[in-house]
Amino acid sequence: MITAPRPQLTGVPVLETERLRLRAPAPDDFGPFAAYCASERSRFTGGPNERSLAWRSFCSITGHWVQRGYAFFVLEERASGRAIGMAGPWFPEGWPEPEIGWQLWNLADEGRGLAREAAEAARGFAYGVLGWQTAISLIAEGNNRSVALARKLGCRPDGIFAHAQLGNCEIWRHPAPDTLSDGGMEAYA
Amino acid sequence: MNAPTLATERLTLRPLGQKDLAPMTAFYASARSQFVGGPASAEQVWRMLAAEIGHWALRGYGRWGVDITETGETCGMVGLWNPEGWPEPEIGWDLYAGFEGRGYATEAGRVAREHAYTVLGWTTAISLVNPANTGSQGVARRLGAVHEGAFHHERFGMLEVWRHPGKEGAA
Repeated sequence: MITAPRPQLTGVPVLETERLRLRAPAPDDFGPFAAYCASERSRFTGGPNERSLAWRSFCSITGHWVQRGYAFFVLEERASGRAIGMAGPWFPEGWPEPEIGWQLWNLADEGRGLAREAAEAARGFAYGVLGWQTAISLIAEGNNRSVALARKLGCRPDGIFAHAQLGNCEIWRHPAPDTLSDGGMEAYA
Repeated sequence: MNAPTLATERLTLRPLGQKDLAPMTAFYASARSQFVGGPASAEQVWRMLAAEIGHWALRGYGRWGVDITETGETCGMVGLWNPEGWPEPEIGWDLYAGFEGRGYATEAGRVAREHAYTVLGWTTAISLVNPANTGSQGVARRLGAVHEGAFHHERFGMLEVWRHPGKEGAA
């Protein structure tokens, strides 16, 4: 048998925050992602979905990196090494404009500010490295926890986007890069 | 994604990318895609292409964009496919409109199978074919595969299982 290097996603940066490491999706992340997709927790992000659909969805995150040069990072808790969710810039075909998305896979990880920490790092990356001048987050109607986080991030409501599969999503507009005190530049450039 | 590139007499199998989006979107908008999960919207196809690319990262193999070497035209998507829920790894081929009848799917399928056997160490391979897809059954036959049974997929329904010859028989 001829051996060949295993194809892999390359060029994805690693962002470090106080408690999190934002890194490229890896095969081992599929387990916790599939559990999230199978649960009611995923109802605001296109779920719940059976495992075979979750697998394709997980693959498409890697493909989004290849097609756009950015996508969701997997959030790894630095202390434990656990993969606990995803956050990042996201702009699949059909989206009204590029967004900053986030999801925590387990209820137990809520309430500690981890999603906020991840979303701020993702926004800093979008503004500081990708050069975005504006950003939105799309939040499915009824997802009150995400709305609360959007408010903490300084976002303002900016209309409704009607998506064929996801239904109505609220558009939350982030503060522009020059109005953010940290801007995210120094940490990730 | 650093997928390998394979060459045959007439075809180049290269990593999937933006070049595939337009022909794939046209294919999945047409009735030709009815046997492989279509039709699908442009938005769905973008994610499907992303998933095809991501398949490489999760499995170490996947499907290639197939170009006609002489003209650079993209004629299809062929390769090794084993998403969650599949009975076992398969060799799959989608041939786009206007490229039928010239043996391209067979030629690309053969080199993909050779890659599976010689580089990846597969000892067997199947192809899943919709029972009404006579064109694809013809490709399977030309590759020496034999119809051996059926697989029921939760979304795609009943599919025929075609078994390819092993490494020695496929040379």
